[in-house]
Amino acid sequence: MSVEIKLSRFNRIYRPGELLEGKIITTLNSSISYQSIRLTLNGAVNLQVRGGLAGVIESLYGVIKPIPIMKKVVDVRSSGKIGSGTTEIPFSVILKDPKEKNLGKFYETFHGGNISIQYLATVDIARGYLHKPLSATIEFIVESDKDNLPPKPIPPDMVIFYITQDTQRHTLISELKSGGFRITGRICTQCSLSDPINGELTVEASVVPIRSIDIHLLRVESILIGERIATESSIADGDVCRGMTLPIYIILPRLLTCPTILAGPFSIEFKLSIVITFESDLYKKPSKADPVSSKPWMATESMPLELVRTA
Amino acid sequence: MGLEFRRRDYRAEELALSLQRGRADTHPLSASSSSSSHLQVEECESGKDDFCDPLRVSDGSTEMSSSDVNREDACTEATAPSQLKTMKGWISYKKMLMQRFPVSKTSPMSVASGVHVKGTKAIEKSAKDLHSGELDDDKIFDDKDVKGISQQEHLSKLHALKDEINQYWCAGDRVTSLRLSIKAVRSLMDSSAIQIYPTLFVLATDIMDMLGDLVWNRIKEKAEITEENFKADDICFDAKETCNNWFSKVGSIRELLPRIYLELALLPCWRFLHDHPENILKRLVEMTRGIADPLASAYCRLYLAQCSLRLSQHDTGFLIACINDLKLVLARLTPARETVNGNLYGNIELLLTLVEPAIEYVIKCLFKDLKKMEISKMLLALGLSSNLSILSKNHSCISVVLHHILKELPVEYICSNAVELLHLIEIIDDRSFDQSLNFNLLGHRLCELVSQVSNVHLLVDKFIQVLSCHANLHAYLMLADAYLDIILENHLGMLLNVILDGILERVRDERIGENELVILQSVFLKILTHFGDIEKILALNHFADFLDMMHGSARNSINMHILNMATRNGQIQDPIIIEVLLEVAQALYNGLDFSNMRKDEYQHPSRLISRFVYMVDHGMEVESHLRFLAQCRGAFSGINELQENLVHSSNNLAVKAMRNGNSSMSFVKSCLAFNEVTIPAIPANLRQLNLYIETAEVALLGGFVSHLDGLLNAAVNCLQMIDPVNVMQMAEDGDEAISLICKLCGMSVMVPGGVEPEVAYIPKRLLSFLNSQSWILPRMKAKILSAIVFLSAALSQNQLPYHAVSGKVICNYQLFVGFPSAHQELLSLSHIALQGIVNCVMQESSKERGKLALESCNCVASSFMASDETLEACSKLVEIAKSCYSADDKFLQSTLKFLDASQFHLLCNSGPVG
Repeated sequence: MSVEIKLSRFNRIYRPGELLEGKIITTLNSSISYQSIRLTLNGAVNLQVRGGLAGVIESLYGVIKPIPIMKKVVDVRSSGKIGSGTTEIPFSVILKDPKEKNLGKFYETFHGGNISIQYLATVDIARGYLHKPLSATIEFIVESDKDNLPPKPIPPDMVIFYITQDTQRHTLISELKSGGFRITGRICTQCSLSDPINGELTVEASVVPIRSIDIHLLRVESILIGERIATESSIADGDVCRGMTLPIYIILPRLLTCPTILAGPFSIEFKLSIVITFESDLYKKPSKADPVSSKPWMATESMPLELVRTA
Repeated sequence: MGLEFRRRDYRAEELALSLQRGRADTHPLSASSSSSSHLQVEECESGKDDFCDPLRVSDGSTEMSSSDVNREDACTEATAPSQLKTMKGWISYKKMLMQRFPVSKTSPMSVASGVHVKGTKAIEKSAKDLHSGELDDDKIFDDKDVKGISQQEHLSKLHALKDEINQYWCAGDRVTSLRLSIKAVRSLMDSSAIQIYPTLFVLATDIMDMLGDLVWNRIKEKAEITEENFKADDICFDAKETCNNWFSKVGSIRELLPRIYLELALLPCWRFLHDHPENILKRLVEMTRGIADPLASAYCRLYLAQCSLRLSQHDTGFLIACINDLKLVLARLTPARETVNGNLYGNIELLLTLVEPAIEYVIKCLFKDLKKMEISKMLLALGLSSNLSILSKNHSCISVVLHHILKELPVEYICSNAVELLHLIEIIDDRSFDQSLNFNLLGHRLCELVSQVSNVHLLVDKFIQVLSCHANLHAYLMLADAYLDIILENHLGMLLNVILDGILERVRDERIGENELVILQSVFLKILTHFGDIEKILALNHFADFLDMMHGSARNSINMHILNMATRNGQIQDPIIIEVLLEVAQALYNGLDFSNMRKDEYQHPSRLISRFVYMVDHGMEVESHLRFLAQCRGAFSGINELQENLVHSSNNLAVKAMRNGNSSMSFVKSCLAFNEVTIPAIPANLRQLNLYIETAEVALLGGFVSHLDGLLNAAVNCLQMIDPVNVMQMAEDGDEAISLICKLCGMSVMVPGGVEPEVAYIPKRLLSFLNSQSWILPRMKAKILSAIVFLSAALSQNQLPYHAVSGKVICNYQLFVGFPSAHQELLSLSHIALQGIVNCVMQESSKERGKLALESCNCVASSFMASDETLEACSKLVEIAKSCYSADDKFLQSTLKFLDASQFHLLCNSGPVG
């Protein structure tokens, strides 16, 4: 005896102006009668404090009250009977009815460390007091409406960066300081979510051999100050040739990214960080520290990244 | 009525019995006989139905098997993405790679099967710690054995991983499949186990290819597409979404190398999203720049080149970029010559040999469908230009890259740009590859199409310049060898002499090693085959010096070539050439070691020497020829075949001398004496027997009765010496012995009485020989006895059937005329023989019994008058024959007819014989 929800779209992505369509599928051994089949759509921003980054008091409270985006209850069927075997009950609900007064803006789905924006569809089949109700939940993914999105090739907003021993704010190992290095490149700071982050990077000089060059995509979720790496992508492995241009090409991970949000109670921003790790004996020492923090054998350069949803 | 010989009139018999002779229009052996060829064809056709040609049969089966292979290929073709044609090359390339860099110690396969037995859990576990622990272990343990084992384990785990990935995929757990695939490629990130890297690469790319095919097929299934030529617009949204998912999953791999490999594996899948996915290759080439490890990056580029072949169309720009990047990486490895110390350089050298196959493959891909017009442009793009100003701007070309480009360039291009290429090689001189090998390669490529080399004089001048800079003998020889064809082809004799001088000069300073010998041999061979005439070769400068330089098998091989060449064109008459060749032959002979060599090893050189001796001709100077033969006998005492030939030659000489008539008898005598000395040295008795008979014939011809007696005596003595064991083993030897004995009997007809004053001296000795030897089979005995009967019958005639040509020897019938005792002796001998024949035929049990009986019957009937004794013998023989043959057998019929004609009315034609 089971019930499940199957959405019309394979990738489960819907836009606020669209109909959420799908089927409630029941698989039963014997026929049952029910009082109602009710579909509940729920969207909310969940803010929560996790890990050691928060203070003692905040962590005691743990979960901060979520910010609701939408809640919609639809009766798909009034009382009746479902036969045994597999039965499919179709449904169709508009997510954002222009006539309705909505609770909040429809933010895009996002699974972060401290902030997650989630939309759920739940079906409940109530069968009176004597029987346990049947229910199932599925997450659907919301992306912004196409109407008010910027057209696709967004202007390439490239910044040129230089990374040298002098641009580093943290202490460097002495070889790096004395030998010096110069890494240049350019990278876009505004990027469509459907496109990869593009750019290039050239190691122009470095006396100390390079161990690796990584690009970190950081998300800055500001309920509490904390940065989390959303994705990490190596573009160089080992001491690459000087003067050779390396491409930067990072496909943005779904769910872990969303359009940059600056809302009142919370914000989700992104940062790109180029991390050059040099060969050093110190590197081999095990350390469990936060990967974001700078080490003396590393050079980093960070720049803000604005993510937008394009048509 | 006693036994009596039949009187014969040979002349009348010949007239009566010989067939009418007529002139034939064509020579029976002439080739262009239309009727015979027609006949042959007919035979072939008639044979077709029932005769199964074994070669044809196997032909059919191989066809079958090859079609099976094709079918298998077709199967894989159905499942895999397009361009299977290129897959074949890839598979064989991978095989080559594994063979070139074998993994030492136990085979990884067996270890892999061992893991299997443990069950899937073990596999899973081993797969999990594949990356984490094992790789570091390699670095920690310096001990070689431990390392070997862990390498083995490493490889076997990769093997197991492939099956596991497939299992997970089939079970629907595609995420795990991907995860494990990533794990597999991660093993390529570690190039510390440098020797097994190619093997790791092959195993990992096997997994990549498999995963690529699985994903391709899955998306294709989703897209519900059947034909190969689809457009991205035909693909439904769901399939595209799946495809995108795969790419974003792969794109989010943190490490660079696995990300590139997996994207390459999925490369064909871009076709579901774009109609022209070729641009992606450019980005991948650039991404590969991030891999700093030279080995890993070279192999990554190799896989990139391979995967690009799977896209239906692409331009070669990205491959050029790929090679140029690779050049930069290599340039870092091979800095200026002076700065690198020896130990480090050893490692680099090993690395270069490992990287080389990758370079080779990428360049092969580049030249795959290159049009002629594009070559110059492409070479320029690769920074290869003999124009110094261009090269200095892009001074990164690596000679190893140049080497493989030279290998792939079309011959026509090389021939028309020979000078430029030579110049280019001269400029590019770095440590990655031996410069002289590039010169060498160019030379060999040019020789592929010697006739089309342009600017020959300029080229050769330049070459001589380059060559003179090489002080090292090996390099000098190698280059000389490579360009020799060009020089010879264009008849630049002067330059040939310059080169030969150069070689001599360097030989003086250096000892010739084995490697140099091989090249020297090749140089020599080229010169030999070019001139093809011993006189011209002798005219070359330093010919003898060169011959002296060589030793061992190279020398032998050259000597053989010289002998072969010299004996090919008829007889050798020039005394100087004969002398040189004799020296050559002697050197060759001295190089042979009869006791330690297999027969097939020394057979060819021995034959060549024999042939040389045979081909020498002193014309009318028979004496000096005989001296030459004597010299050869001493020089080549180990070659039996040659000793035999010497006897033949000396007999020839004797006959020639007699024919010419102008030489003295003493010369013939010395020939005979030469043979009498030579023959006993030949080990095989049968050969001896044959030669004795041959020499005896010559003696008979010359009328040297005392020699003749001696020779025949020696021949019969030879018979006694025949080793029964040998003859029993070799049936043919036995038959040969019998036919030689028959020949001896035939010749004895002309031999006068001999030392002993009895006419039947030789037949008597033969009889005693027959009785003494147990190995002689009954049918052989019967034949010899028949021959004795024939001999006796012939000797009893007043007129002999044939004479020696010279007529110098007095015949028996003249010698013994009026000696009844001689006649009686022959009769009694025949009597014994006749008894023996009948007994032998009766003892004979083989299939030939009937034939033997009839032959003997004919012998008796033609030799004797009909008498009680002969009739009885014939009746017995005919009865035996009748029991073997059907009544209408032709031989039987004709024999019966002959018996009738000879007044042999058989006693009892019916009824058993008593």
